[in-house]
Amino acid sequence: MDSNYKKDFEPGFSPLNVCEEAARCLLCHDAPCSKACPAGTNPDKFIRSVRFRNFKGAAETIRENNALGSICARVCPTEKYCQKGCSRSGIDKPIDIGRIQRYVTDFEEANKMKILEAGKKNGKSVALVGSGPAALQAAVSFNKLGYEVHVYEKEKVLGGMLRLIPEYRLPNRVVDVEIKRIEDLGVKFHTGVEVGKKVSVEDLKKKHDAVVLAPGYSYGKMLPAFENNKYVISAVDFLREVKAKGGAVKVPANVLVVGGGDVAMDVVTTLKLLGVEHVTDVVYEQFKEFKASKKELEGAQKMGVTIVDGYVPSKVEGNVVTFAHREIKAEIKVEADLVVLAVGQYPEVKGLGIELVKGEVNEGKPYYTKDPKVFVCGDIAHSAYDKTVVGGVRTGKEVALYVHAALGGK
Amino acid sequence: MVHKDLSVTFLGVKFPNPFCLSSSPVGNCYDMCKKAYEVGWGGVVFKTIGPKSYFIDEVSPRFDKLNKESTPFVGFKNMEQIAEHSLEENLRDLRKLKKEFPNQVLIASIMGNDEKTWEDLARMVEEAGADMIEMNLSCPQMTSHAMGSDVGTNAELCKKYCQAVKRGSKLPMMAKMTPNITDMVPVAKACLEGGADGIAAINTIKSICNIDLDKKVGLPIVDGKSAISGYSGKAVKPVALRFIQQMRQAEGLENLEISGIGGIETWEDAAEFILVGATTLQVTTAIMQYGYRVVEDMKNGLEHYMVEQGVDSLHELVGKANKNIIPAENLNRDYIVRPNIDLDKCIKCGRCYISCYDGGHQAIEWNAEKREPSCNTDKCVGCLLCGHVCPVGAITPGKITIKPGRKCKVEDIKL
Repeated sequence: MDSNYKKDFEPGFSPLNVCEEAARCLLCHDAPCSKACPAGTNPDKFIRSVRFRNFKGAAETIRENNALGSICARVCPTEKYCQKGCSRSGIDKPIDIGRIQRYVTDFEEANKMKILEAGKKNGKSVALVGSGPAALQAAVSFNKLGYEVHVYEKEKVLGGMLRLIPEYRLPNRVVDVEIKRIEDLGVKFHTGVEVGKKVSVEDLKKKHDAVVLAPGYSYGKMLPAFENNKYVISAVDFLREVKAKGGAVKVPANVLVVGGGDVAMDVVTTLKLLGVEHVTDVVYEQFKEFKASKKELEGAQKMGVTIVDGYVPSKVEGNVVTFAHREIKAEIKVEADLVVLAVGQYPEVKGLGIELVKGEVNEGKPYYTKDPKVFVCGDIAHSAYDKTVVGGVRTGKEVALYVHAALGGK
Repeated sequence: MVHKDLSVTFLGVKFPNPFCLSSSPVGNCYDMCKKAYEVGWGGVVFKTIGPKSYFIDEVSPRFDKLNKESTPFVGFKNMEQIAEHSLEENLRDLRKLKKEFPNQVLIASIMGNDEKTWEDLARMVEEAGADMIEMNLSCPQMTSHAMGSDVGTNAELCKKYCQAVKRGSKLPMMAKMTPNITDMVPVAKACLEGGADGIAAINTIKSICNIDLDKKVGLPIVDGKSAISGYSGKAVKPVALRFIQQMRQAEGLENLEISGIGGIETWEDAAEFILVGATTLQVTTAIMQYGYRVVEDMKNGLEHYMVEQGVDSLHELVGKANKNIIPAENLNRDYIVRPNIDLDKCIKCGRCYISCYDGGHQAIEWNAEKREPSCNTDKCVGCLLCGHVCPVGAITPGKITIKPGRKCKVEDIKL
């Protein structure tokens, strides 16, 4: 099946474009963009490098600060972070930082640059459970500190939630290259190993000096009314399957989506790119309080997705779903061939020996659990950052420092 | 619609407007000059015609350019010498052009390699119908040291060749100066003594535009090597204006008639050349980049400027800036003007703070929390670098302070 699903949604910059965009940058003092990046990718420094034609230096800045620089360049909701405070907005519009970063990381790849270097071995080892963005960054940070790093992933493929982000936004190829870089540093990856089942946390504690759990919010939530319904699939399962099959999936002509976050927007856009004629998205939030970015909402609407805001499901009968408005007396009924539920994700921590409160481990000290040898990072770590890739990168960088300190490192 | 008369009289010849092609690749044959006339250029300086004995043999490639950020052609380097067509072809083209475009000015640029060839060429171009002669004493990339800018730095030789040209032709004549010299005045004076009626300035500046970092050779590369050659375009405008001003400032040259050349791309550039004393204007680089059509906006823009200035003839503007450009030692040094920072316009980028600290006097202070600059008047020396780096024009000259012990009055100062 030849759909638009695998085509780049947004083209990258040409060499001329990237220079023009970097020339638009005001090169601020104490730049707001760099202060706003959770991963500390330091956009003001790499944009300045581009401005002064030091593309290799720009790549070094990105890579040293963010092991997932190529991924973040493509998927980061920059309008919420670096671009939010951009001074250039005072003249016209913010600098397109994501696309500059993408140009530089593509340049890095095209030039086969090897920027990251393994640290001098310190004789200690650490186990990471999960291989999503947080764990991948943690692997690099631990590696740099001299640890032997082992990553245990329950799936056959590495990358966790990165394997859900649609191909048109984040090609698998980019994720593969990013992981290969980490592997080249000496990080050992073990796939198909579900910790808590085949291997226990206790086993890992015996083999390693510390264990870091990063299971992620990898399961799609179900609403009770939709359970055990053959027409219903979770957004997470849907996106994972479409991506794994490279878009070669059969979808009916009439699909109902429930939910209005970024994942829901990925679902509706994917459906449209797969050629689905009728995509109806019913959202709990009203437009004024929408969770997904304005850009994504507008993009979906432009593609012809019908988005109805302010409604909650009130009744489900097979493939017919009735919604009631949250505030006014109004009802709508949608009959669809497939219902995709995008109402949030949750983590599965069975067998990991930790307890979650509101989906997080919060023992007062960041990244710590009750067990002094066991730590957490990523979505389940209590932090001030959104549960995004860049937020995960931040926790990955930080957990390495906390663990290192706990193990007596400086 | 603006309707202003752009005509000027230069060396006794009437031009419908002051804009001319300069002697260069842009006026290399009949077809090119025909098109230029049709687009509306006031005059053409036909590409320099050399002696029959001098064989033109060009390199390939022959250009390079300097870029800045995403702006190409900030400066342009050219290795072409003089017209490569035969003398007969060039004279035939001159004849044809004059016949078909009698009301637009045809200037023949010539370059001899001894007195006889200068004299002969002058005679031949007059016979072919040229309205004026320009002596090319300044091409910096000739393959003979008896020609081009090596001649243009030798005042005695220039005078001798001017006399030779005047023997060959009675046409009005201007000598084209090389900027590859510390002081242009002695050469200009020598040319006038030799019979030149006016001066054209400037020709291109000897340059190396870029070096290929892998091959370690200048650009353009010609079989693994490169050579120094002439630099033109917007980047040379400040140098051209300076030479023209210096000539007009020199004793005895106050009313020197000048054809201004060097990086003219917009009507504003053109107006600047006029204000320092040029009567006609010559253009190449902008044409090479954008085509003859650039003249449309130069002409129209200049007409609007005439309206704004309330003048009916460009002659009223010629040299109007000369008296306001004076030796540095004569400038008023009695006051300091400090910046006025408009915080409503400020977009909080902090560039003023960085430049003042690193390139000024650490006078701009930065409120990190509010992201707001302010000026510490105790430290500020009034250099106004801050205003130059501000991307939104939020910093302008503000309060004037008289230095202690000076008699100057604030109200007398013209900013």
